[in-house]
Amino acid sequence: MINFPQDPDLMRLPERAARGLLGGIDAAANRLYGWRWNPVHQSGSLAVAMLLLLLATGLPLIFLYRIGSPAESVALIAADPWLGSWTRSLHRYASDLFLVAAGLHMLRMFAQGRSWGPRTLAWVSGLVLFGTGVVCAWTGFVMAWDSFGERLARDGARYLDVLPILSEPLSRIFAGDSRVPSAFFFVNLFVHIGLPLAMGALIWLHVMRTARPALLPPRRVTWGVVAALTVAAVLLPARLGPPADPFQIPATTPVDLLTAWWLPLSERITPAAGWMLGLGLSSVLLLVPLLSRRPRVGRWAPSDVDARLCTGCDQCTQDCPWEAITMVERRDGRATLLASVNTSRCVSCGICSGSCAPMGIGPPGRTGRDQLALVRAQPPAALAEGGRGSIVALCCNEAPRAHVEAIRGRGADVRSLSCTGNLHSSVVERLLALGAQGVIVFTCGPRDCASREGPKWLDQRLYHEREAELQERVDRRRLRVAVLAPGNLRESLAAYDAFAGEVAPLHVPGGGVDYVEPECEAVEAGRAP
Amino acid sequence: MPQRAGRILKVVLGTAAMLVLLVLQSAAPVPGPNGDDARLRLSWRARPERIEVCRQVSDDELAKLGEHMRRRIECTGRFATYALTVALDGHTLHSAVVRGAGLRNDRPVFLLDEIALPPGKRRLRVVFQRREQVETSEARDLDSVAGAFEREPASRARRETMERARRSGAAIPPLLQLDTVIEFQAGRVVLVTLDGERRGFRVLTQAD
Repeated sequence: MINFPQDPDLMRLPERAARGLLGGIDAAANRLYGWRWNPVHQSGSLAVAMLLLLLATGLPLIFLYRIGSPAESVALIAADPWLGSWTRSLHRYASDLFLVAAGLHMLRMFAQGRSWGPRTLAWVSGLVLFGTGVVCAWTGFVMAWDSFGERLARDGARYLDVLPILSEPLSRIFAGDSRVPSAFFFVNLFVHIGLPLAMGALIWLHVMRTARPALLPPRRVTWGVVAALTVAAVLLPARLGPPADPFQIPATTPVDLLTAWWLPLSERITPAAGWMLGLGLSSVLLLVPLLSRRPRVGRWAPSDVDARLCTGCDQCTQDCPWEAITMVERRDGRATLLASVNTSRCVSCGICSGSCAPMGIGPPGRTGRDQLALVRAQPPAALAEGGRGSIVALCCNEAPRAHVEAIRGRGADVRSLSCTGNLHSSVVERLLALGAQGVIVFTCGPRDCASREGPKWLDQRLYHEREAELQERVDRRRLRVAVLAPGNLRESLAAYDAFAGEVAPLHVPGGGVDYVEPECEAVEAGRAP
Repeated sequence: MPQRAGRILKVVLGTAAMLVLLVLQSAAPVPGPNGDDARLRLSWRARPERIEVCRQVSDDELAKLGEHMRRRIECTGRFATYALTVALDGHTLHSAVVRGAGLRNDRPVFLLDEIALPPGKRRLRVVFQRREQVETSEARDLDSVAGAFEREPASRARRETMERARRSGAAIPPLLQLDTVIEFQAGRVVLVTLDGERRGFRVLTQAD
C-alpha cells in the first residue's frame, strides 16, 4: 500500500499518451466546473443520460416523420418553431454529446488501465455500444434525406455493395432514374429505432459485472447538460442541408464531424481499403484487453482471504465494486461463513482491504496488516527524528504528480496508496498514535475513482461508522479527507494549508500511548479466541 | 460574492463556447470529391439475352420422361455479355465488359458507373453491344422449332413458346446506342439509363 512501486506497465506509450490527454481534459473541466460537478468524470453515465434524452426527443419526432416523403417531413419539422425545430436540434446535439461522452469514457478506461482481465466484457460490450450508437446516428442523418444524409447513404451503399449480402447493388437506388423506394426509408427507420432497443440490452451486459452501477450522473449534472443543450437547440437550431438531389453534386455539404469525420477519406478510397481500415481499427480496439493485460501478480494480484481472520461479517462482499466476493461455508468447523474471492472477477482494486475490520482480506501486500506493517517500518518522519510530528498526506497513486509534489513541498510526509479506498482506518489511527500531527487523505474525485467506489467507502468508514470504521477514540480534528483534482492545484493546496493551520495548535500525544492493537494483530500474537 | 459571480460567469462562458463548438461541428462544410466537375452517370438494370440452341424433343424421347419433366423444346445456351463503350467528342472515355450478376451470370445486369468530366457542351456516344455473335443457323433452329409447335396440339408447347418469346423480348437488345450533344454543367449529373418500354437509352438531367 504505502510507497508502492510504480507499475511498469503504466509506462507503456499509448496508455501514457491517453493518460496525458485525459489529464489535460480533466484539468480543463475541473477548472471550469470544479471536481464535484465535472461532467467529464461522469462520461459513462452521461452517455446513458444522452441515450435517454435521445429516446425522449426521438419519440415525438417519429410520429411526424413520413417514410414516403422523408425530406419534406423533416423540413416541416425543422420549420416548426414551437416544437419541431428545437426537439429535432436537441435530438441531434444529444447524439453528438453521446458520442463525445462515450469516447471520453473509453479513453478514461484505457488510460486508467481498466480495459483488461475481468473488465474485458465491459470493454468489448462498450465498444459494441459505441459502434451501435454511431450506426444509429448515421441512420438518423439518412432519415433527414438532405445532402448530408444522401452522401452518407451513397457512401454506405458503396461499402455494402462489395459484401455478398445483397441480391442487388444498393447504390443503384440512388442513381436518379426513379425515386428512392419507401422500403429503403422504412428499413432505415426500423434500424434507427431497433438499434437503441439493442443498446438497452448491451448496457445491461456492459454493467453486469459491476456492483451498484452508476447509470446516471448526479441530477445537477444531468439537468445542467440537458438545459445547456436545450438552450443551444433553441438559439442555434441544427442546420438542415438542401434536400437530397441525385442530379446535384454539392461543392460542400454540411457534415456532422463527430458522426462522419471519416467521410472525406472514405469517399476517396476503394471500399475494400475502407473495410480494411475500419476492420483494422476495430480489431485493434477489440484486442486492447489482450494487449493491455497485466500478469496477475504484484500490483495486479487478486485479493486473498486469510481464513483465520475472516469473521464472516460479509462486509467485503457488500463493499466489493465488482461482485467478486461471495460468502461460502467454512470447512474448519467454525460456525461463520468465509469470504471467497472469485479471481476471474477480482480487479485487484483493494477496496476489500479497507472493508475488513480484522484485516483478513486484500490483495497480497496491500491488506490492512501490510499497511500497518509499513507504517511501523516507516513512522511519521519528524517523529523518528524526535521532533514535532509532521502531517502525513496519504495520496492516491492516480493523483496528479504536480499536486503531490506541491504538497510535499509544503513539508508534508507524503505517502501513496494504490487507492484511498484501500486505506484501513487503523492506519490513520496508528499514524496519529505514532505522533503524526494530522493525517490528510487526498482522494480522487468521487466519480473519477479507478476503483469505482474508493472515496465513497473511505468517507463512510472514517465518518459514518461503516464497518471497519475509524474508532471513536480517534480525534477527528486531526483527520481530513480532501480531493486532489487535476487542474485545481490551488484548491488542493488550500485544503492542505487549512488543515495544517487547524492541527498546528492541537496537542499531539506521545507515540503509541492511546493506541489500541487491532484485532488482527492479537490473532497473530496467538491471543485470538 | 463577486468571486461567486465571476465563477458563474466563467461556467456560463465556458459552456457556451463548448456548445458553439458542438453546433459548428454539426454542420461543418465539407467538400465532396470532384465537386467542380460534371458527372456522367450510367445506371440501368436489365436482363441479359439468353443465347440458346434449341431442338424439338421427339415423342419417343418425351415418353421416356416423367410427366412433369416433359418439355417439347430442349435448349442449351448461355447468357450474353455486353461491351460498354463511352466516348466523348470522339474519344473513348470508358469501356468495359458487362455481365449478368451472379456466379453463373444468370441474373440481371446491374450497371452503375460514374465518370467525372470537365463541364461544357460535348458530344456523347454510348454503345452497349452484345459481344457474342449469334449464328443465323442458331436463330433459324429456334424459329423452325418454334414453327413446329404450331402443329403441337398441347397447350404446354404453346405456353413454352410464348414464355420464351416473352423472355427474349424483355432482354437487352443486341445493340443499344446513344449519340447526342449534351451540356455538362459543373456540379450536375447527367444520367444515361435504359428505358425498358422503348428499349433504348434515355438521358435524364433532373428527376422525373
